[in-house]
Order: sequence, then structure tokens, then C-alpha cells
Amino acid sequence: MVDSMAKKGLNFVMFSGTADKFIPLGVLTQSAVNLEMPVSIFVTGWAIQGFRKDGYKKVNRMPKEFEDLVPDLMKGMEEMKAPSWYDMLKEAKEMGDVKVYVCSMMAGAFKIDTKNDLDPIVDDVVGAAAFLQMCEDREVIFI
Amino acid sequence: MTTLKVDSRGTSCPGPITDLIRAYRESSNGDVIELLATDPGVKADTKAWCERTKNELLNITEENDVYKVEIRIVSKRTR
Repeated sequence: MVDSMAKKGLNFVMFSGTADKFIPLGVLTQSAVNLEMPVSIFVTGWAIQGFRKDGYKKVNRMPKEFEDLVPDLMKGMEEMKAPSWYDMLKEAKEMGDVKVYVCSMMAGAFKIDTKNDLDPIVDDVVGAAAFLQMCEDREVIFI
Repeated sequence: MTTLKVDSRGTSCPGPITDLIRAYRESSNGDVIELLATDPGVKADTKAWCERTKNELLNITEENDVYKVEIRIVSKRTR
């Protein structure tokens, strides 16, 4: 399975806006690049807030249903000195073929100024058809 | 032919593989990369990486919770 994914690449639909979900985005993107897989990330839903200018600094909401475990997670991540999801994405972009696309519809719904209010990590603003086209021969993971 | 030592002790997944790749970029075919790591995922991950990139996994040893992975670089492409 790893091999077939590796040949074609990996795409993410990043929808969730809570901080916990950004961790696998960073780790899996970095790991995909480490295995020389191309990656495209389609940012939509709540996640779009994390890709606004300086938005990554504000990704700190945690899911209510795991409230009791949040302190353990935060402490553990700190002790492991795990890099932030944003740093992992940035590094993955430097090391490999990683593209970040913001969903034009969600950007419109939140009235985001796509020319001035998106983080530099974002490559382009696209519609769903463009993203699906990019998914044609790749595995897609919805986060 | 040289041995490149990479100390990734204390980093968590995917830190060891990312550090390995930094060394890989500086390496030439025939070199050996010696990677030290404490993340237990490093065993399976270096195996997967070697299979994927067609480099040669020579040895994985563990001592006092430190893994030492030795990889011979054999299929580096010239870009």
C-alpha cells in the first residue's frame, strides 16, 4: 500500500479547525516528503482560519470531548519537543513537492481577502473541481 | 566513502527520518549513514524509507533505549 501511494502521491482535505487535527497534517506531510511523495493540501472548512496571515498562531482550540486529555497531550508534545505543525509544513515545502490550496468557496464564506490575508505558505486559491482533478491518481485523506 | 553520523536522539516522529534525509542530501553513493534515535518508530520508518528509496539497511541495534540504524547509500540519483 505504501508503495502504490508513494508512486502517485498523497492529498489531504484539511477541514477540521482544532489544534489536535493539525498535528497529523504536519506529521503525515513531512513523512510523505521524506518518502519522496508529492503532497497537495486542500484547506477548507474551519481549517481555513489556520491558513490566514498569522493564523497558525491562533490554532489552539481543542475538541471538547477530549478536554480531560488535553493537558496530557500538551505536556507530552512539549516534553518531546515536537515541532509545530506549521514548522513541519514549512520544512516539508522546502524539502519536497508540497502545495497548499485554499478553497475559494470557504474563503468567500468567511469573507477572507485572498490577496492579502492568506499565509505565505498558501500556494493558490482553487475551487473543488481543480482539487479533485489533482486527486485523480492520488490517495486522499480527509482530516 | 564516509560515515555520516546523525544524532536524532530526543526527537519524535518524523524527526529521525527528517534528520536522516538532511544527511542523505549531503551523502554520496557508498557512504554509510549512522543514525541515532530514541523514537521507537525509527525501526519501521527507516525500513520503509530504505525500501522506498532503494538504499540498503545494514543494521539496527538497540542499547539503553537508543536505536542505532546503519544505512548504506546505494541509489542516490544525481540531480
